[in-house]
Amino acid sequence: MTTMPGRPAFPDEPFPTDRLRPTSRPAPAHFSPAISVRDLRKSYGRTEVLRGVTFDVTPSEVLCVLGPSGSGKSTMLKCLNLLEKPTAGSIVVGDVTLTDPDVDIDAARTRIGMVFQHFNLFGHLTALDNVTLALRHVKRIPKAEAEQIGRAQLERLGLGQLAGHRPANLSGGQQQRVAIARSLAMRPEVMLFDEATSALDPELVKEVLAVMRELAGSGMTMVVVTHEIGFAREAADRVIFMDEGLIAEDGEARALLDDPPSARFREFLAQVL
Amino acid sequence: MHDFFHTFFDWSEIAGVLPSLLGEGLRNTLLIAVLAILFGLSGGMLLAVLLLSRKRLVRLPARIYVDVFRGLPAIVTVSLIGLGLPAAGIRPFGRSPLGYAVVAVGLISAAYCAEIFRAGIQAVPAGQMQAGRSLGMSYLKTMRLVIVPQGVRNVLPALTGQFIVDVKESSLVYLLGLGAGQRELYFIAQERQAASYNASALVAAGLCYLAITIPLTYLVNWLDRRMREGRPVRSGAEDLRPEPALAEG
Ligand SMILES: Nc1ncnc2c1ncn2[C@@H]1O[C@H](COP(=O)(O)OP(=O)(O)OP(=O)(O)O)[C@@H](O)[C@H]1O
Ligand SMILES: [Mg+2]
Repeated sequence: MTTMPGRPAFPDEPFPTDRLRPTSRPAPAHFSPAISVRDLRKSYGRTEVLRGVTFDVTPSEVLCVLGPSGSGKSTMLKCLNLLEKPTAGSIVVGDVTLTDPDVDIDAARTRIGMVFQHFNLFGHLTALDNVTLALRHVKRIPKAEAEQIGRAQLERLGLGQLAGHRPANLSGGQQQRVAIARSLAMRPEVMLFDEATSALDPELVKEVLAVMRELAGSGMTMVVVTHEIGFAREAADRVIFMDEGLIAEDGEARALLDDPPSARFREFLAQVL
Repeated sequence: MHDFFHTFFDWSEIAGVLPSLLGEGLRNTLLIAVLAILFGLSGGMLLAVLLLSRKRLVRLPARIYVDVFRGLPAIVTVSLIGLGLPAAGIRPFGRSPLGYAVVAVGLISAAYCAEIFRAGIQAVPAGQMQAGRSLGMSYLKTMRLVIVPQGVRNVLPALTGQFIVDVKESSLVYLLGLGAGQRELYFIAQERQAASYNASALVAAGLCYLAITIPLTYLVNWLDRRMREGRPVRSGAEDLRPEPALAEG
């Protein structure tokens, strides 16, 4: 009998494999999808930007969302933490139905991290204060403890030296990593990225993608809107291709990218590559 | 020519009025101005947040307030409040005109400050609110901790202009009639001028106003620069080298 490294053996159990049999017990909660989106629709006035979007993201899955400009990627992502209010459909993140009218949206959002194209760091605060603001004022963690968490988080992203700097004194790549640290400090279950590297100079893209890749490797559930096909190929488990407010393709990342099933997707890939 | 000079710069006139200008006058002018400015800042901030509400019913009263108090001549507002209220039996400050002046100038200032703050807050990029909300902070909390602090920084220079207006409008309290010990700069100078038929006291009062308003401009500019630059940070040369992406946590 072999045991997985790091897992305890079960010397007292004659048939330890029983424990692994999925049918022997009800599926634990974490087997349910981390994100479940059903028939999501969003209109601005008369234009329907999302026209019925349905997909699931399983825990620890990395989903990349591709699609041409204006296809509704950002709108869809913002619906996932209700920065945009869906017109119709349902969104469940973890065990919270965001589209339930009685939902405590502020509480739900602490479990959903979001990283923006333009970083959106709080310009009047230092890197450290950016990371600790919500810890202190949402999670009500005392200042000293919050700063300890914040410093550890910055350190983890290679930003330890920059804790006292204002955003204006940081490079784009550093700003985006501070923004990621700010989200991660809240210990979210899910991370959303909206073109996190699009506003960066080419030489700074790498450092941010490296952080995202390692985060993906650490088991974080991620929805990543990106034009970085290379990142999608390496780091994503699944890719969806959005076109005109609908999901046009949905499949395993490599399979879909190496052998695009539709002419439309092939065309898109040819353009971004 | 000698008469002209003498009418405005009679040293004995100035020397005679200076002690009460620098004592009683300056004290009461500053008292009215500072309290009216504080009143205007806090009222203006409240109004600005109301003006930015998504709810029409919240916006509307604030809008009306701002339009009314910006639209009335200051002299009318000061009279309405300082003469009207006591006549109607509403005398929160008893017979002291200073309190009424503070309220009247403060109410006007609040209307102007509201528009200044609103503009400053609207200039804060929308992404700041989105970032705050995405971290689980409520709308009001994000306003208080993220949007307003940056909005205020945007408009510090514009506020200076309003502070100066408030200092100058404090002189309108003369309309209400001031007793001994209550007189401010203009009232003292004006009394003296009426008695001596010489404008030198008014010149002295004018210089006193300039001694308040001009340094005020530089004080706010200095504050503005300090806030913009922030606290000094360690030099960053060693910080700019590439760093490991995600060190062991
Ligand atoms: N607040 C808004 N009001 C009206 N229309 C909007 C609004 N936000 C987005 N839209 C429209 O919705 C459509 C989808 O926009 P969205 O930003 O989601 O696209 P996207 O896929 O993220 O594009 P990009 O790659 O350029 O970021 C666009 O046609 C856009 O003009
Ligand atoms: Mg977008």
